[in-house]
Amino acid sequence: MKDISRSVPKEDHDEKVSGRALYASDIQMADMHYAKTIRSDRPHARLVRIEYPTLPDGYIIVDHTDITGANHVNMIFEDWPVFAAGVVKHVGEPIALVCGPDKQVIQSICEQVVIEYEDLEPVFEFQDSVVQKAFKKGDPDTAFSQAKEIVERVYETGYQEQAYIEPQGFVGYLEGEKKVTLIGSIQCPYYVKNAVMKTLACDPDDVRVIQAAVGGAFGGKEEFPSLMACQLAVAVLKLKKPIKMIYEREEDMIVTTKRHPSKTTMTAALDETGKVLAIKAHVALDAGAYIGLSGVVLSRAMLAVTAAYTIDHLDVSGDVYVTHTVPNGAFRGFGAPQMIFAIEMFMHHLAKHLDKDPFDFRKAHQAKQGDKTATSGIFRDPILMDAMIEKATNMSDYHRKVKAYAAPNVYRGIGMSWFLHGCGFTGSGESDHIKAKVRLRKTEKDHVYVLVAAVDMGQGAKTTLKKVVVETLGVPYHQVTFDHPDTDDVPDSGPTVASRTAMIVGGLLSQAAQTLKETWQKGKEQVVEKRYRQPDFVVWDEKHLRGDAYPAYSWGVNIVEVSVSPVTYDVKVENIWSVYDVGKALDERIVIGQADGGIAQGVAYGYLEVMQHKKGTIQHKNMTDYIIPTSVDMAPTETVIFDNPYALGPYGAKGVGELSLVGGAPAVALAIEQAIGRPIHKIPATPEMIMELIRHETT
Amino acid sequence: MVKHVIPESYREALIHLRDGDFHIVAGGTDIMLKYRNEADLPPKFDRDVLYILNLDELKYIQSEAHVWRIGALTSYEMLLDHPDLPEVFKAAWLDIGGPGLRHVATLAGNIANASPAADGIMPLYLYDAQVVLESCGGSRTVPIEAVITGPKQTAIASHEMIREIIIPKHPFNVTQWLKVGTRKADAISKVSFCGAAHVEPGVIHELRFTLGSVAPTVIRARDIEGSLKGLLISELKTKTAFVLNAYSERIQPIDDQRSNKHYRHQVALNLIEDFMTQLIKEG
Repeated sequence: MKDISRSVPKEDHDEKVSGRALYASDIQMADMHYAKTIRSDRPHARLVRIEYPTLPDGYIIVDHTDITGANHVNMIFEDWPVFAAGVVKHVGEPIALVCGPDKQVIQSICEQVVIEYEDLEPVFEFQDSVVQKAFKKGDPDTAFSQAKEIVERVYETGYQEQAYIEPQGFVGYLEGEKKVTLIGSIQCPYYVKNAVMKTLACDPDDVRVIQAAVGGAFGGKEEFPSLMACQLAVAVLKLKKPIKMIYEREEDMIVTTKRHPSKTTMTAALDETGKVLAIKAHVALDAGAYIGLSGVVLSRAMLAVTAAYTIDHLDVSGDVYVTHTVPNGAFRGFGAPQMIFAIEMFMHHLAKHLDKDPFDFRKAHQAKQGDKTATSGIFRDPILMDAMIEKATNMSDYHRKVKAYAAPNVYRGIGMSWFLHGCGFTGSGESDHIKAKVRLRKTEKDHVYVLVAAVDMGQGAKTTLKKVVVETLGVPYHQVTFDHPDTDDVPDSGPTVASRTAMIVGGLLSQAAQTLKETWQKGKEQVVEKRYRQPDFVVWDEKHLRGDAYPAYSWGVNIVEVSVSPVTYDVKVENIWSVYDVGKALDERIVIGQADGGIAQGVAYGYLEVMQHKKGTIQHKNMTDYIIPTSVDMAPTETVIFDNPYALGPYGAKGVGELSLVGGAPAVALAIEQAIGRPIHKIPATPEMIMELIRHETT
Repeated sequence: MVKHVIPESYREALIHLRDGDFHIVAGGTDIMLKYRNEADLPPKFDRDVLYILNLDELKYIQSEAHVWRIGALTSYEMLLDHPDLPEVFKAAWLDIGGPGLRHVATLAGNIANASPAADGIMPLYLYDAQVVLESCGGSRTVPIEAVITGPKQTAIASHEMIREIIIPKHPFNVTQWLKVGTRKADAISKVSFCGAAHVEPGVIHELRFTLGSVAPTVIRARDIEGSLKGLLISELKTKTAFVLNAYSERIQPIDDQRSNKHYRHQVALNLIEDFMTQLIKEG
């Protein structure tokens, strides 16, 4: 049997390289109209009066009074308005759309709108908790009471912007009298469809959502597009013309969701030998103005509390705080990067505190197959971390470098992170909420269509999912087609998030392909559907966050080597080594692509990407001021993929998408910590912060 | 409606400038950002626009006995391709934007834009460069420091344009350029530094520094430099504290979204100290 990992040409390679791929802004239609959003410029205020200029013929204003259904975006928490009604809670909050045929005229109308506000007190601190979660493992209270020593540290992380290639955007138009079709830059076609149905209070048949080519999303196009789509759908029904709404880059960076800033307090109970008996952890997330998905992000963060270690007694809690800032949301890693940063730094700092070798200290706490997870589930599958860590340390010459860089005034450092990422939705999310369904349709000409709602946003889903079908059926590639999902054609296989696409959707497709192969009737139209069933061994108590949070885990090791200039305090990332266990790579080149991009984004989160708000207004609102790494900033990477096939994954595949991001920040932060000889408790570790640490100006 | 004019010759460009009030667009890499509009809409120019990038007669690099002459529309990539221009210039220019930008951006545009964070002009201050400003009424040659009068402000009259830049040749044998942009390409300087020294066995004939992004315009302090002339290298160490102190008073950085004044101040001083330390070390 040939190895599934052997790379094939990327399915969307030609259309993207040639420029033929149609992104939302490339779509042209006869009689195209445009929409621009009128936004709040206050962090918190009552809307007293809005005065619009006299509108020329063909131009309309669309606001909350035009909504026929619910004025909130359909998400887990239904607190996020489609259009502000009466009050605004963050700078950039949408109040209305101006729509019409000429963008210049629309711009001029927007400039003439006068909004009278009554300012209310804004909150920017962690003070208004709106979601609280907690779980325990073992008996942390007893462990703490028996501790020889208790050590506490606080870790903070900042915003991160997804910085996808093209800003958010949609084209919407009417089909017939009342059916609204929306083509957009999205990750989750059915999230968009369901949200629009709620806002329009209409039938499923009256909303159609089609994915345009997507040049990166990173979670940024998980829930935010639903907001735009709801607004645009209302506008399309009112104006009865095709409307294009594409954000400018600055607008996008000011108003769209970002990674939650966090503050995590880690407390360890240590025994007389210096082993960690128990950990108490509290994570605080800044949701921004509306909760949206923040509660789920909080769960992911909490569940990652012990990362790649096993600690027998845990007391874990978390709060989501609302502030009068831009709502934060999904971002590759989904809460895990914040927690993995905290635990990895904490384990290192504990070792330093105990005057132990950090490597040995971490090894002594490493998770093994059969151990209880943080939520008292079980690590059922083999864990290859011993071999992976050995591989990574050998590749990077880690042990020699750690010693060499410990000398004073070397200004070089090497840092290592160990981590895991749960694959698929948390707990019973897949079986209770998503209930994924996939379909294969074979035509009379024996051509097979892959019908799923999974979106290729650059990560290669089109290639890998099609490959699963092709290889299982044993047919040539040209006999199978995977078009951009269109909700009129594809069943709801769930959103393209949570490292679930390869494992869950791919798994269902391989089952469907197997069935189709077994029942194949030449020259006959055939349809095969498969629906997700939770593996029997997964038992999850959502209320108490107890049991198997995920059916499977992907694992990773990152090692980052840096030099720091004692003159400018700039960090240069010299080398990056990574070892991953993703079960089985469905396509090696695609996994390496994911790994290179993920580590670039994860490392940059740790030292480079600064985003802040000033009284609720985002200050880093373009790619000049928001520093993401360029190709010349990127260090050489060496990545090794371990095979560790997961029984229920297609060809053994587990999750891939998020794994390569979550360990980047602690690895680079630990490397910087060694280079400057000062502990780091906060990321990004900017040159400004490094200067203060080196010059002893902060504690 | 603003008028968009593309002259066929330099002479014609000067006549337009005499008769009207124009924004001049060379490479356009600053001005097109300043007046940019939403996608699909024309830029929001508030005056007529004169596009001059096609004027090949202003694209040249001439080497004379004591000076270099650089035509106003010579792109950075043309300058970088030249085999003989001083290294410190090339090092600074290579740190501007990315390759695409450098193929159209011009040194004259960097002067006219007068940004306190401009990288391209830093070595001009170091070398006492002069700028030839021309109009239909004639030309005048002005030192770079007198052309740039403040952030985004110049002494260039509306009927004038930059014709060429004159760079004197100097026998510097140690030079350094360093840009602190945190990212290695497509970055705007937080702090930038140029240093040049003419050192002959043990003696400092000339030691110059320029600092960018830490004051309204590029800092060059001839008085401080003057006090170092003629020193023995072995004496330089005793002068370090004095030099840092003297520059410290002239560095007036700001806080902005890219950095803070505390960092900019400290790093500017570090860069001076580092350059002096290297000189001392190399003797």
